Amino acid sequence: MTAGAAREQGEEPGTGGLDPVEQKEPEWKRVHPVSPLVRGWLALAALAYVAGRNQAESWFAGDGMDLPTGSALFWSVLALGIALLVVAGAFFLSWWFTRYQLSSDSIRVHSGVVVRRQRQARLDRVQAIDIVQPLLARIFGLAELRFEVADAGESAVHLAFLRLPEAHRLRARILEDASGAEAAPDDAARSPGHSGDSGGDAVPGEREVLALSAGRVIASVLLSGTTLLLLLAVAGVAVLTAVTGEAASIAAMVPIIFGFGSAYWGLFSSGFNFRASVSREGIRIRSGLLDTRAQTVPPGRIQALAIRQSPLWRITGWYSISVNVAGYGAGSSSESSARTRLLPAGTPEEVLRMLALVLPDPGTSDPVTTFTAGMSGTGTDAGFTVSPRRALWRSPLAWRRSGFLVTDTALLARRGYFRRSLEVIPHSRTQSLALEQGPLQRWQRLADLVLHSTPGPVSPRVVEMDADTARALLDEQALRARTARRRDLPEQWLRPAGGPQPAPDEPAPAVPSHTVPSHTVSEPAESASAAPVSQEELPHDHR
Amino acid sequence: MPSEAIDPTAVQWQRVSPKYLRLRQLSWGIETVITLLVTGLPLVLRLTGIWPGYPAWLAWGLPVFFAVTLLWRGLLLPRQVRAIGYAERHEDLLLRRGIFFQRTLVVPYGRMQYVDVAVGPLERAFGLCTLKLHTAAPGTNAGLAGLPAEEGARLREHLSARGEAQLAGL
Repeated sequence: MTAGAAREQGEEPGTGGLDPVEQKEPEWKRVHPVSPLVRGWLALAALAYVAGRNQAESWFAGDGMDLPTGSALFWSVLALGIALLVVAGAFFLSWWFTRYQLSSDSIRVHSGVVVRRQRQARLDRVQAIDIVQPLLARIFGLAELRFEVADAGESAVHLAFLRLPEAHRLRARILEDASGAEAAPDDAARSPGHSGDSGGDAVPGEREVLALSAGRVIASVLLSGTTLLLLLAVAGVAVLTAVTGEAASIAAMVPIIFGFGSAYWGLFSSGFNFRASVSREGIRIRSGLLDTRAQTVPPGRIQALAIRQSPLWRITGWYSISVNVAGYGAGSSSESSARTRLLPAGTPEEVLRMLALVLPDPGTSDPVTTFTAGMSGTGTDAGFTVSPRRALWRSPLAWRRSGFLVTDTALLARRGYFRRSLEVIPHSRTQSLALEQGPLQRWQRLADLVLHSTPGPVSPRVVEMDADTARALLDEQALRARTARRRDLPEQWLRPAGGPQPAPDEPAPAVPSHTVPSHTVSEPAESASAAPVSQEELPHDHR
Repeated sequence: MPSEAIDPTAVQWQRVSPKYLRLRQLSWGIETVITLLVTGLPLVLRLTGIWPGYPAWLAWGLPVFFAVTLLWRGLLLPRQVRAIGYAERHEDLLLRRGIFFQRTLVVPYGRMQYVDVAVGPLERAFGLCTLKLHTAAPGTNAGLAGLPAEEGARLREHLSARGEAQLAGL
């Protein structure tokens, strides 16, 4: 029945696909034929398991080991054959009806057997491109390409699976077109360069910025918050044992052990072999032990970021960076948290190096001091404005860390004593903002400023500020959000006509050197008139 | 409307329609009746001796608890509705709400992705509508209930026009 319905519909796309006579039209392509098998192997394995188990049980249920003979054997083989045929047919149909086409400004995908779906996405709306290789796909040399746009749901375009070189070629072409670069003289040379070299790691024009050793990843996982939870769990079990006087049963421990094991494993395998590099296509991040992923985030696509330190990392002085990218969304699965991790665990120096990539223009003259103070400082050093003293009893330890700093291009929100965090949101990426005040805060004349960013792990919030300071900040920040957007990078980041060229082409990773020119860029008369940008002018009456 | 501690200075707040208070009170009344009926039923059954096994503390406590909560909420309603305000500034829209937990929200016109105007059956009876702004951030949560229908339509057109003029992508 399914097949019949499919065949009826099959005529139209079949003919549509079979007349590529019009040469102007870019050709329609199909994903790799093995794809459905790779995608559906789990279902197949489950089917085989169930069938095999039923068979085995029925065999062993009889006396001894007599194998089925005659008609019984015939029927079971027939049933198995039909099942396989149906599955193969379904695989074939789903493969046959999935086609994609890349034109100079958009990518289209047609898919679906019974319910047809045609999807088109504009290339310059790309927020990120991921090339993901699950283990099985890796064995076959295949890769999945995910094209993310800003709807924060599932990937807009999702091509599984392509040959790895093909995926690389596609990514290069998409990014080339999306960047809006006018066919620069070296473009012709670039594209083949990409395709030819795609098997290897390095792509021409790409510069590696950071690579984490396996030891670092293991140590960071062992010192992560999961370990704290584990310690708590162990303590809980110990107390329970001491109180009840009988040892906790192993059976009760199994799920706990399993849970922690998988949490550790997820962190380790997703952070393993982490490498970050930069090219004019944006930031590229590769990681993964069994399943590997290579993410490309074009310049200006990072909406907000958070530098965090879990309590045990203070021993080693490591920090992690998470980012909001519009296409990645806010899933809570370990995969989506791995996707939004810009740095699994890095020293302050490495954090600054990554920051220089995502925030080429931090808008301060001394970003090292500023961000160091943001990561580990307290009080008003480096110009932070902190909570007034009366916030002490609300957060006795953190009140001197709760604070903010406004640079020319971004707002830094610092908080947390045990779990330090520094959230950075560029003015040009602030969607909206709100002041919030509860009854106790009202009594104390305190308020929180919440900045709304796209869905993701970062939701910036300036906590426990003096109400007047917060109100002034709201006003100024609204103004900055408006004006900053006007001199922002165009969506097609290499388009020659618009704005200043972004930095990535001329590699200048070191933080200070990066920022000096941009600082001068970012203070046109507009900003001077627009906002009293320096914090000195904000009221400090809480002291 | 009096300016609260966290409101930006020199903002002329516009209030939602006074009819919105009546709408809220009507729906509050319906909710009260239903809740009290449901929670009071076991009490009636117990008093009439049909369900003597029902514990007395629960039979009295539940309706009383809900009655007190609902009464409190009902008393707050006028102030809550009065606390809702909006102001169209040159480049952004301000929204405020709340008495105990106050919130003042700023949405730059250029960041609006789309504007919703919704009208439910009760709202239609009162000639009101609910306007909702959407930006790329789910946290924005900028709903404005209780606008007169024509004001809602005007605001929608106005916001769309302003948004288009200042459209800023993501």
